[in-house]
Amino acid sequence: MSLAFHNLLKERLRFVLSIAGVALAVMLILILKAFLAGMNRQITSYLDHAPGSFVVAQQGVGNLLGATSILPLGAQASVEAEPGVTEAVPILSQFLILEFHEKKQPVYLVGYLPESGGGPWRITEGRAPDADDEVVFDQVLARRHDIALGDHLEILGDDFTVVGLSEGTTSWMTSFVFLRLSAAERLLRAPGLRSFLLVSVEEGTPLEPIRARLSGLPGMDALLLEEMKANDLRLFARIFSAPLRLMVGIAFLIGVMVVGMVIYTATVERQREYGVLKAVGAPNHVLYQVVGVQALLASASGALLGVLLAYAAGQLIMAVRPQFLLSVEASDILRAVGLGIVMALIAALVPARLLARLEPAAVFRR
Amino acid sequence: MNRLAIRNLVQSKRVVLISVGGVTLALLLMLTLDAIFTGVERQITAYVDFSGADIWVSQESVRNLHMTTSSLPAGVAERVGEVGGVAEAVPILYLSNMIVTGEDRHLAYVIGLPPDASMGGPWRLAEGRPLSGSGQAIIDRSVAEGSGTSVGDEVEILGRALEVVGLAEGTASLVNSVAFIAAEDFAQLRGGGEAVSFVLVRVAVGAETASEVAARIETEVEGVTALPRAEFAAEERRVVRDMSTDVVTIMNLVGFLIGLAVMALSVYVATLSRRSEFGVLKALGAKTSDLNRVVILQSLLSVGIGFVLAAALTFALSMIIPSLSANLTLRLSAASLLKVAAASVVIAGAAALMPVRQIARLDPAMVFRGK
Repeated sequence: MSLAFHNLLKERLRFVLSIAGVALAVMLILILKAFLAGMNRQITSYLDHAPGSFVVAQQGVGNLLGATSILPLGAQASVEAEPGVTEAVPILSQFLILEFHEKKQPVYLVGYLPESGGGPWRITEGRAPDADDEVVFDQVLARRHDIALGDHLEILGDDFTVVGLSEGTTSWMTSFVFLRLSAAERLLRAPGLRSFLLVSVEEGTPLEPIRARLSGLPGMDALLLEEMKANDLRLFARIFSAPLRLMVGIAFLIGVMVVGMVIYTATVERQREYGVLKAVGAPNHVLYQVVGVQALLASASGALLGVLLAYAAGQLIMAVRPQFLLSVEASDILRAVGLGIVMALIAALVPARLLARLEPAAVFRR
Repeated sequence: MNRLAIRNLVQSKRVVLISVGGVTLALLLMLTLDAIFTGVERQITAYVDFSGADIWVSQESVRNLHMTTSSLPAGVAERVGEVGGVAEAVPILYLSNMIVTGEDRHLAYVIGLPPDASMGGPWRLAEGRPLSGSGQAIIDRSVAEGSGTSVGDEVEILGRALEVVGLAEGTASLVNSVAFIAAEDFAQLRGGGEAVSFVLVRVAVGAETASEVAARIETEVEGVTALPRAEFAAEERRVVRDMSTDVVTIMNLVGFLIGLAVMALSVYVATLSRRSEFGVLKALGAKTSDLNRVVILQSLLSVGIGFVLAAALTFALSMIIPSLSANLTLRLSAASLLKVAAASVVIAGAAALMPVRQIARLDPAMVFRGK
């Protein structure tokens, strides 16, 4: 153990650089994971705060974000006529691309009835829209583009005044913009169109029978809020998982290379000493242990520093770019530290082979 | 001295392998991320690029197809068709919806095509035939393969069961695919009147340029935005670019820092192991500047090899990955290569700083003391 320490600490700068390399690789893995975890929270934020137990969508549409849902005319009345249903809050929603300061900004437009719900759940400044030419903007989006209360904006050729700023309604991809249902109908040239119904039921009513009845209505599917959240998460996970896995794989290999290089060079430098140890009767497994401990020390220190760096980098990114939510989860930290240990074990393989082949007599011949 | 740098590099092959490998991976990280986004940019403009239209006409101030909606009053296609320089105007319907195959749901841009549409349809059919009427659909081949659907099977689009009559090639992206159905079915399933989404325009042969005709359409037809195809596609690419700029910047920075740490470590380690040789050279009268040159050259060589390998690997990945993950396309761009090459030079220079200091402090007498 002390030999392993001694070998590693002999060249302090080399040790520090190796820790930095592993730390950066672990940080990258954690940031990627934190980015995904944060995005998942942002994806479900609307449904997390939506009223009711069910979302009724167009038949075949199982997502809030992703597909445009078009409910049959009269859907609200049919749903509200079902026994056990207390209220069906309609919304008309659509992704749109707005342009601010020559930058494209995707927004998720939600037309809602302020008296019924389905709109912003926290207005930090201003108020809900009272008229058809008023909108509530997400506060982060507003800040990023210098939009203030009272500002006039054009959306799809119509003029609007910003009357409120909402909180918790943004992600790095898109932000929510809320307006009255009638304004959305006019803007999208779709009178009477409804995308989703947020359905509340009488307290204590079993949900499954109601869901079955609602899904049996022509052209409609009823999903529990939790189901729709899971569908949205799955949809985005499918989009981001392949690139993410590729990047995590590269970061992992980098970590292995860095630890491998340090342990290998440290072993080569001490080849004579290892030879002497072998000559005086030290079995191979003792030497493997020395190399293994060195690799573990470098990886573990790097992994721990990587966790701290990821946390700090996450805070910095969120401060500079508030549309990002980076959530460093405990399970990901454990996994990253685990990856650090795997890095160490793989990195120790080449030096271990070198030691296994080392001839004790060689040291006396030099 | 140049020879010494090369000899130093190749003497310990494993260390070179690891250091070049490390820097290759760090640069690969930067190049791959760029390639993913460039690939997505290309994928999302595929439908626009291959639509066959010279001009895209949309609702006023709508300049995109993706993540947005466009609604034009019925009859607008006729008015656009009457504008001078327009050879043909085809109205299409468009909506982001789901293709439901059994229990699977696939996000898709659903395009409603009028009968015998000369523009806006699938540009390459891998199997089957074009749409010939109501109740039919053409979906992307990779979606069909992924869900075990064949020509003749039924899928659900906009909540209605439709027969798959053809499988299109090249219409899927990382995010979604394109599905084609009859405009008649689309309008009926969507409801909400006779509005159309876009009008695709072919410019008359020998007439003015697409830009001139587009400008005339905007002047003569009220409430529309008309953009030549290339401009419309550029607007699509801007959506991806504007959305991804921050992510790419953050990841590039991390890749740069990792590359820097790996390179600094390897040049430092290489210099450290040759310390006594450098001492001998100093004792023999070599100037510190000469030795610095060796270290810098060594660093540049490693990073240079790393850069070439990273570019080659990214290129190889762009060939391999599409066959593993049908909808992820990587595309290496010249701009990205230039950016990463510039970062490599900075990495090589910065990595050599510490060994340069090490050499400056090196005492030639130490070699005689046996250190």
